[in-house]
Amino acid sequence: MALTGRTALLAALGSLPVGIWEPSWTGILAVNTPLALACACDFALAAPVRRLRLTRSGDTAVRLGDSADVTLTVTNPSRRPLRAQLRDAWPPSSWLPGTEFEASRHRVTIPPGERRRITTRLLPTRRGDRKADRVTIRSSGPLGLFTRQGSHDVPWTVRVLPPFHSRKHLPSKLARLRELDGRTSVLTRGEGTEFDSLREYVPGDDTRSIDWRATARQSTLAVRTWRPERDRHILIVLDTGRTSAGRVGDAPRLDASMDAALLLGALASRAGDRVDLLAYDRRIRALVQGRAAGELLPALVNAMAPLEPELVETDARGLTAAALRTAPRRSLVVLLTSLDAAPVEEGLLPVLSRLTKRHTVLVASVADPTIAEMAGSRGNTEAVYDAAAAAQAQAERHRTAELLIRRGVTVIDATPNDLAPALADAYLALKAAGRL
Amino acid sequence: MTTRHPTAPTAAPQNAQDSTPPARPGEQPPATSTARTPRQLWTRTRGLLIAAAILLIAAVAIALVRSEAAHGRLDPRSADPGGSRAVAHLLADRGVSTRVVTTTAEARDAAGPDTTVLVASPDLLTDRQQAQLHAATTDSGGRTVLIAPGTPSLGTLAPHVTADPAPSLDALARPGCTLSAARRAGDAETGGRRYATYPADADTCYRSESLPTLLRLPEAKGGDTVLIGAPDILLNDRLDEHGNASLALQLLGSRPHLVWYLPSLSDDARATDSERRSFFDLLPSGWLWGTLQLFVAAVLAAFWRGRRLGRLVPERLPVAIRASEAVEGRARLYRKANARDRAASALRTATRTRLAPLIGVPPSQAHTPETLLPALTAALHTPGQDPRPLLFGPPPANDAALTALADQLDALEREVRHS
Repeated sequence: MALTGRTALLAALGSLPVGIWEPSWTGILAVNTPLALACACDFALAAPVRRLRLTRSGDTAVRLGDSADVTLTVTNPSRRPLRAQLRDAWPPSSWLPGTEFEASRHRVTIPPGERRRITTRLLPTRRGDRKADRVTIRSSGPLGLFTRQGSHDVPWTVRVLPPFHSRKHLPSKLARLRELDGRTSVLTRGEGTEFDSLREYVPGDDTRSIDWRATARQSTLAVRTWRPERDRHILIVLDTGRTSAGRVGDAPRLDASMDAALLLGALASRAGDRVDLLAYDRRIRALVQGRAAGELLPALVNAMAPLEPELVETDARGLTAAALRTAPRRSLVVLLTSLDAAPVEEGLLPVLSRLTKRHTVLVASVADPTIAEMAGSRGNTEAVYDAAAAAQAQAERHRTAELLIRRGVTVIDATPNDLAPALADAYLALKAAGRL
Repeated sequence: MTTRHPTAPTAAPQNAQDSTPPARPGEQPPATSTARTPRQLWTRTRGLLIAAAILLIAAVAIALVRSEAAHGRLDPRSADPGGSRAVAHLLADRGVSTRVVTTTAEARDAAGPDTTVLVASPDLLTDRQQAQLHAATTDSGGRTVLIAPGTPSLGTLAPHVTADPAPSLDALARPGCTLSAARRAGDAETGGRRYATYPADADTCYRSESLPTLLRLPEAKGGDTVLIGAPDILLNDRLDEHGNASLALQLLGSRPHLVWYLPSLSDDARATDSERRSFFDLLPSGWLWGTLQLFVAAVLAAFWRGRRLGRLVPERLPVAIRASEAVEGRARLYRKANARDRAASALRTATRTRLAPLIGVPPSQAHTPETLLPALTAALHTPGQDPRPLLFGPPPANDAALTALADQLDALEREVRHS
């Protein structure tokens, strides 16, 4: 039940006859009784809200930055026409700030016994699941004086997927991958390479790669060539602990890490490698394992969508154990975490050897361009102190990276925009070197 | 945003198919309304309703049980223990007519030589009412009986009389005076207020601890004013004690008419209203009633605006911490502590680290002057410049020197890069 502005306006206009002709209780009653009766009639003639039937259909997933249409079908089974204001309520971040009012409200007229479709367009501003809240309907009578109001619970969830901005880098990286495949690349045998073919020796080839048995059968010198092995395992580990919550630009570090992980996943699955994903802080937040190349990317995106940084210190021991469980065979373990001194030195370094013993480990970290900017600031005292603090931070970061590199870990430290291509390049380089 | 089914004639069959009312229950989607059914409402509210009912019943019962107390006190129409119907009845038997009035105007109009005016609670009257009443009764030649007047009313109604602040301990008192009514009545329960000062010509009776509880003040034209310290002699349940009845009948029966004035709240309001015209009286009534109707409209508008279209939707927001916050905090700390030494050493270390690969010094030896400085001097084109104080010197003495140091380090690095 609710009043409308029209009722209040009529009551206000009623003060004129009351004041001019009949300034008494009689006048007040003469104005307000018909108004109350009209309201009662309006209420009686408004279509009941409780008996409406509502169903939803439409998009269930949308990439961040795109819009999703969710359709609400409203059936009016009553004998009275429905003239209603309808609010399809969603969490505030389902729309751009400032537009949620217009986007969630609809006017709808449904004749008796018919149904209408109402489309709500969502333009989510954050990753994650958006659950529809209630649908509230305010059904007004023919005079527009009084309304019936009620809500319906029509559940629907739209999953907002990571935007995968770095997919623009994918064609160029795939081209490099094809180059790598086409070249009978390596003459040295290593782990993660397989025998490719024999060819004639040309001056400059490594003499150690001459295949003497084949040479003995032919009249010319033959060398063996190797190529990177396909079907390697890659485990991407996302650290969702407190260090991933820090914002670089206007997105958390975690989002930049996800972007890089998606590019790596897309690239590696095209290269014929198997990609698994593990998100961990103090427990497993997401796990994608054993997906075929075709369904890998949707699975990754789906698993990443609801991930949020947790404000807890990452349990490095548990993370290592989970990674070892997930990747029992020799793999490339890509650890997307931060290079902050304390978490690495106290958490990761003591347990790193368990990982490096079996796997090739790559640590990728999101650097903050603000700090590079600060390090270059000059001019006044404040700026110089800023520069000194930034230089100190960079030195610490550098030292941490050195510590990791000394333990045989490949380290990538890049700004959010550069991280994804840098990680892809590092992967291609490892693959070319047959170190996977 | 709203897309509707086309209502053009061509789409009519579609519409007809769409508009399948509840005839086929299988196609009906499940009810989604969150409104409570009447049954749920009843289940939810019945506890409260039962509690409210019990409260109401208890209130009514208590009110019924206790309703006798102090109802119609000193009212000649009341048969309660605190009423005075018995006196009125006895007076009527003796040919004295009793009339109850509730306004000062009526009491004033009734005053006359053959009338007794009884003021039941003179302390409740306002100053204005007291003055009006006094003016009317002083020269009327009739009798005025004041029941237990206190300081608030004595000043106007009985000038020259003051009440003692301490009431008498005992209700019963002896006449002890020449007033015939008192002598005939004997002991009576007049003890209550005692009067400390009074005019010399007053009859002072029923003394309690030397102060009188009954006063008769003679007035002009044979009239008089009687002050009684307590109302007990008029009450139904005390009337038959001692000489109460005799005293009451003699005091009230001296004139053929008795006007019993019970002050009331409505009387007070009317008395002041008629005297003082407020701002609202001066406004034309049309404005007042129009404003009242506008007020009704405002209340309706408040209800209109106050109703929300559905509840608020909460959302768990992510934390927003800038990743560079720790570094900025450290910069502020440096500045606050004037840590020029630390700042300078950080800047110098950073420059040395960057210079070392440029001039072919291994990174591990970038911070040993013996290795770095010769290589640096060799790389620089300008001979005679000593980079030692710049790269390994003491901390700058003030902020200006620190700023200069940063600039010089930049200049050195540029020079090495360009050489």
